[in-house]
Amino acid sequence: MDNSKILRTIAQKLFPFILMFGFYLTLHGHLSPGGGFQGGVVIGTAIILLALSYGVDETEKRFKENNLSILEKLAILSFIFLGLLGIFYGYPFLRDIMPLGERGCLASAGMMVLLNIVISIKVAAGITGIFYTLVKYRGEL
Amino acid sequence: MFAHLPILIIIFPLAIAFIIIFLFKKYSPFLSIIGVTVSFILLIRFAPFIHKGDELLYHLGGWQSPLGISLSIDGLSFFFSFTVLLVGIMVILYSIPEKKYNHNYYFLLLLLLSSMIGVIFTADIFNIYILFELVSIVTCLLVAYYQQRVALRASFNYLLISTVALSLFLLGVGSLYSMAGVLGISSISKQIPMIFAENPKIITVSLVLILTSMGIKSAMVPMHGWLPDAHSLAPSSVSAILSGVVVKLGIYCLIRLLYGLFIAGDYHGYFGSSLQLLMIFGAVNIIFGAMMALAQDDLKRMLAYSTIVQIGVILIGISINNTTGFEGALFHIFNHALLKSGLFFCAGIITLQTGKRKIKDFAGYGEKNPFVALCFTILSLGIIGIPPMNGFVSKFLVCLSAVEEEHPVFAIIIIIGSLMTAAYFFRVIQIFYSEPIQSDKNISTIDCEKSYLFQPRIFELSPIFILTGISIIMGIIPSLGLSIVSPAIKVIFSSLLPVLP
Amino acid sequence: MTPINISLLVFMIGLYGVIVKNNMIKKVIGLAMLNSSVVLLFVAIGYRDGGMAPIIDNQTANSIGTVLVNPVPQALMLTAIVVSISLTALALALVVKIYAKYKTLDVQRINKE
Repeated sequence: MDNSKILRTIAQKLFPFILMFGFYLTLHGHLSPGGGFQGGVVIGTAIILLALSYGVDETEKRFKENNLSILEKLAILSFIFLGLLGIFYGYPFLRDIMPLGERGCLASAGMMVLLNIVISIKVAAGITGIFYTLVKYRGEL
Repeated sequence: MFAHLPILIIIFPLAIAFIIIFLFKKYSPFLSIIGVTVSFILLIRFAPFIHKGDELLYHLGGWQSPLGISLSIDGLSFFFSFTVLLVGIMVILYSIPEKKYNHNYYFLLLLLLSSMIGVIFTADIFNIYILFELVSIVTCLLVAYYQQRVALRASFNYLLISTVALSLFLLGVGSLYSMAGVLGISSISKQIPMIFAENPKIITVSLVLILTSMGIKSAMVPMHGWLPDAHSLAPSSVSAILSGVVVKLGIYCLIRLLYGLFIAGDYHGYFGSSLQLLMIFGAVNIIFGAMMALAQDDLKRMLAYSTIVQIGVILIGISINNTTGFEGALFHIFNHALLKSGLFFCAGIITLQTGKRKIKDFAGYGEKNPFVALCFTILSLGIIGIPPMNGFVSKFLVCLSAVEEEHPVFAIIIIIGSLMTAAYFFRVIQIFYSEPIQSDKNISTIDCEKSYLFQPRIFELSPIFILTGISIIMGIIPSLGLSIVSPAIKVIFSSLLPVLP
Repeated sequence: MTPINISLLVFMIGLYGVIVKNNMIKKVIGLAMLNSSVVLLFVAIGYRDGGMAPIIDNQTANSIGTVLVNPVPQALMLTAIVVSISLTALALALVVKIYAKYKTLDVQRINKE
């Protein structure tokens, strides 16, 4: 991976905006096409853009493989826990137990916002993990 | 809590799987046994409820039927999930003493069991696609677990063919959804007469696509090419669960979609001809599979071709429009799951103890380990279909229904298939109980001594013992097995009776 | 040309890639095309004449007459795209492993051994 100065500067400046776009997609999942998976992929893409321009070893010092793995597993366990919360309150699985706001507002649609956030964390960690395994370890994990 | 049981049966192995790879990596075998056994006990709690003939509908998230995804447990789902969990417990028991299986293996196995039960319980046609894709991804990972050269090739092949099959399935679902507008199976079946009146070609397109895709997944003969490689090159416990239940999942979806969707209304013209097609596929499966199995010299590959033969018997049983035939087919699904898993477990122990894979190298195995050789003999008698075993009951019911419906040629084909099955299994049994070749003992004494050191212990022998015991009991008292099958028959034929001429 | 016709055409092109091509990477590209054809079918089904993208903000929530495209197939296809990515990732990982063991990407040479 040839590290050119232009690529490194542009990637460094663009990184927070891509992250912001990923958060926008995640949080507006109930109002526009998007949701957890798409937001997570965009966040993962931001990290991959950094890795492509600075080199995988540098990026791995800041986004460690171990932490990503723990985040992934915590995220899926909390997804199951959020679903089971519905059962504890007496409703079927994955029922909305948060208050439903008005239509078109950001804080509406019950539990979907929380589920979207959890899924986006898992997907971002997953996509970056796949990238690390294929590129850094050359598939030899 | 009783009303929430469907989702808990699916979630519990899944949660245990993620807890295993997150926290308790060392205790993974025991946690996974606890997970699957608890699921099995929760499923058994449904038994008196299902026996009355009721159906349990569970709407996820509280969203009612046309809007949301629902799970439904009726007789057919209960029967298949009972089979899946029983074979699953045996597979986990068998793989406990193997030291090469780390926490990743148990994670994949629990994920596989959980998503299979998800496919069986769901009542939403798009959900079937998602969970079936999960089943095929996890199966590919399990087949390539030891990362040998040939296993990786088989796994890649299986991935390609399975993706083509499921994309065809989704195309069929899409064409049906374009006219119906809803996705639940019972909701679409109410709209099929209207769709047929407007645009009958859409029904043809979706029926053909769904039949083809489920044919590829359940190994009907022109589309069976993935099965011998994937089932013989996988580790033994993975082969057992693949041949036992994963292949039957395609048959479950076929039954559910044919009898649930495409039969509604006055529509039995297409339905009848698709049943005739399945009968011909079944007959070709039997003849082709038996001929290929006779030509094999690798033990696990021969068992994989034997699976193709038995799927042919099941397809003939399903497609004959008769209660007896259906009973025989479903009972044969249960029997074959038990018998074939037991045979693959025996093959695994034999391969570990002798260090070789070809049949002609197993000479004298009856003397080395009489228990495993005896169980292999009894289980193969079950697959051939000899009277005190359960295989006889199910094959007899299918032959009887073929004669009742005035198609005696299919009964003759099943009997010829059983004779050829007897030929290739008796060859193996004869080699077990014959004298070892003298020259082998003189030349490679070091190999003989090393292989005598591996003694299978209680964890590996007990699943074989339990499966053989259940098979013999089901053969002597067939009403025990048929009592599990009869609620499924009631479900299917209650939807069928108003339509048949 | 109805949606199902075009989608089957793309499916056939992808199937040609999976079956005929000898290089494993080309087979994986064909695999991704198969999954994309299904996405094309579903999204084309949901189209309504003159409709706009189904994004709800305060403007469209309070007005009644706007025509929106059907969002349900789009939501279903989000899930199907997830599945497609997982399949492509798994297939590429298997190709990397097979290349490490066999030192070639040609399917006919791999099957000969």
